[in-house]
Amino acid sequence: MTTTEPPVRPAPRGRSAARAGWDVLRTWTATTPARVWLLTVLCVTTVLGLFASASFTLGQTREGLDVLGRDAGPQAMATTELYLALADMDAKTSDVLLMGTDHDLGSGRDDALEQYEASRKQANEALLHAASLTEGDTVEERNVQEVLEGMGAYEQLATEARLRNDEAEAPPGEVDGQALETYRRATLMMHTELLPKAFNLGLDSSAIVRADHEERQASVAVGLLGVGGAGAAAMLALVALQGFLRVRFRRRFNLPLLGATLLTGALTLGAVLALDTSGGYQREAKEEGLDAAMSLARAQAIATDMQADQSRYLLDPEMADNYQQVYLERAQQVLFRPVNNLEDYYDAVEEVAVSYPELPGRGGAGEDDPGTLGYLGQKAQDAVLPGHEDELAEVLEAYSALQGQDEELRAAAGAGDTEEAIGVRMGITHSEDGAFRDYEQALGDLTDLHEEAFEQGIGRGDAVLAPWLWLLPAGAAALLLLILFGVRPRLTEYR
Amino acid sequence: MAFRHRRGTAALAAAALLGVTACSAVLGEDRSLVDASSLAVGVKADQPGLGLATGDGGFEGFDVDVALYIAGQLGVPEENVEFVGVTSAEREQKLISGEVDMVVATYSITPARKTQVTFGGPYYVAKQDVLVRAEDTGVQGVRDLEGRSVCQGAGSYSAVRITEGLGIGVEQVEAPSYSACIDMLREGTVDAVSTDNLILAGFLAEDPSAFRFVNNPFTDEKYGVGLPHGDVEACEAVNKAISRMYQEGTAEELLETWFGATDLDVLDSVPQFEGCV
Repeated sequence: MTTTEPPVRPAPRGRSAARAGWDVLRTWTATTPARVWLLTVLCVTTVLGLFASASFTLGQTREGLDVLGRDAGPQAMATTELYLALADMDAKTSDVLLMGTDHDLGSGRDDALEQYEASRKQANEALLHAASLTEGDTVEERNVQEVLEGMGAYEQLATEARLRNDEAEAPPGEVDGQALETYRRATLMMHTELLPKAFNLGLDSSAIVRADHEERQASVAVGLLGVGGAGAAAMLALVALQGFLRVRFRRRFNLPLLGATLLTGALTLGAVLALDTSGGYQREAKEEGLDAAMSLARAQAIATDMQADQSRYLLDPEMADNYQQVYLERAQQVLFRPVNNLEDYYDAVEEVAVSYPELPGRGGAGEDDPGTLGYLGQKAQDAVLPGHEDELAEVLEAYSALQGQDEELRAAAGAGDTEEAIGVRMGITHSEDGAFRDYEQALGDLTDLHEEAFEQGIGRGDAVLAPWLWLLPAGAAALLLLILFGVRPRLTEYR
Repeated sequence: MAFRHRRGTAALAAAALLGVTACSAVLGEDRSLVDASSLAVGVKADQPGLGLATGDGGFEGFDVDVALYIAGQLGVPEENVEFVGVTSAEREQKLISGEVDMVVATYSITPARKTQVTFGGPYYVAKQDVLVRAEDTGVQGVRDLEGRSVCQGAGSYSAVRITEGLGIGVEQVEAPSYSACIDMLREGTVDAVSTDNLILAGFLAEDPSAFRFVNNPFTDEKYGVGLPHGDVEACEAVNKAISRMYQEGTAEELLETWFGATDLDVLDSVPQFEGCV
């Protein structure tokens, strides 16, 4: 094929060199090979842009999954368990004091001491996680430090109380005066200094995960726009090149370029879909998995502290009213119904367990009844994974059974039958078949489901992205080759 | 909304650049108080020591100082904080309507309120306690109230907690406000006034020799920072500010300033937060 091109004229004298150079360039760009070159460079640049933006956004999404799935997420979960471990230490201390000289009550003193030790270890580990998660945050770092120091002080007091009680050979339910005085200081410290900070650390770790997650989702949203834009630009450039060749060279279709255009479209669409799908899995992993699991972990932690209030109620008659009141308050955090005293609460909880999956007070009940709230109320029901309603039903039943035992305990104590009351209490806290153990187990099963959902979401999110590790570079390479094949024969005509 | 946004123009520019769909996805449709450059804060106007109108249009008290500290931590200088007097009954409505951005007004966190309001904090956990005349030595514990008269402010549940919660038979007397209760206690018309110890301490600080605490705290009243429902970001920022307020010792100083004249056992360690979600 021959086409006539205007000859390149030398620049007239008297003009500046730059002006001359500009003219040369302008004349050159008017030639067909130059235009082909320019359009080709444009195509290659936009394809590289697509590759870069897609790799960057894929990388970001993968990193987000990694942080949520293997770093901040599990650490936040571990930090949430700090409260549980600390509350359990104080629970076991109060149980041991209540047992006094009768070491075989419930599952026994040795068992309680072993559990204390296990919880102490767990608290230390959770603190390490918290320390690593909150690194660089001065407020939270100080909280970690204060909990760490407070734990040491608490342990000293708890041990001292136990030793004094042992030395005094106090019978069950009649804690030695000095031992009680020391224990009051220990449990006050636990409840005013350690547990609040531990709880706040758990909340803060959730906040860190949330902020990180939202920030990443936002930047992935920008990234998606970038990928879409780069893909569209690349397709436009390819179509422009196709059109130019068609007009200038009177060819119907340049097949390699057509292929490149289609491939660009497919790659862009594929990458956007993969990013969006993976983002969806990530969101599910966080909301249905991690958030729900952490909320249930709080339900367990607060219930642990709540049931220990039974022992405190029995071992400290002077403060019994307070301990009964805080028992109700903690219970209301776990599962809330609008009642003012324990008697009504027992009934209300039973009603919830019986009427589930219908939650009492939902809708239309007016201002006096805001519904069934708290960690195990509406929130838990909203988070139930499809097909797993029974697991929540079991938790509610176990919780109701636990409250039933509490009613027995207080009835016995109220009637002056301390021995019976202590028997009920030690039955509740029995580590093999106690009512609290049953509740913990049911709650654990439900929590496991959400943790599985979490891991599954992260796994799926990863799986969707995995093929793009090679699809994207391979696709980009194929595009460059196709452009080369499409353009080279035309350019050779000018050699 | 009463507050102004620092990032308003930036957000608009970004919206123009990215297009409308991108804007809502990227910036989020919800605005947060953390971006505010000024704040309207609801406080009590009739609660000595906590939130009290000073007569010249200003307010003073522990709640007022806590609000100023939190605003400062959110980057809002004192001169940009406008205080608005609120009564107990108005708190939700003023927050929901946007008339105030934040409520720091002896606002107890309850599960029911949490369905309408997001609570930062608590910044202090008050306890329900009982105030009696200083010379009345017959009441040493809450159970000694059996058969006596106890005054509570209108709309309060304080006495119910004694009768129903603890099963103690007291004669309930209702007055329009707690300051009216205090007057009745002084005159001998009632034997005791029961409500949050921080509120009682505020009255006691005005006249420390006239009354005394029974000092038998029996319930937790978690004073929260009321925020527009769903503003999680602001709630987390408020929590951080409260943690800092305790770590720096500011909370202790403020409690000493407002309640130091009384024998109230104040807690100077950060309370357990409620959680923002």
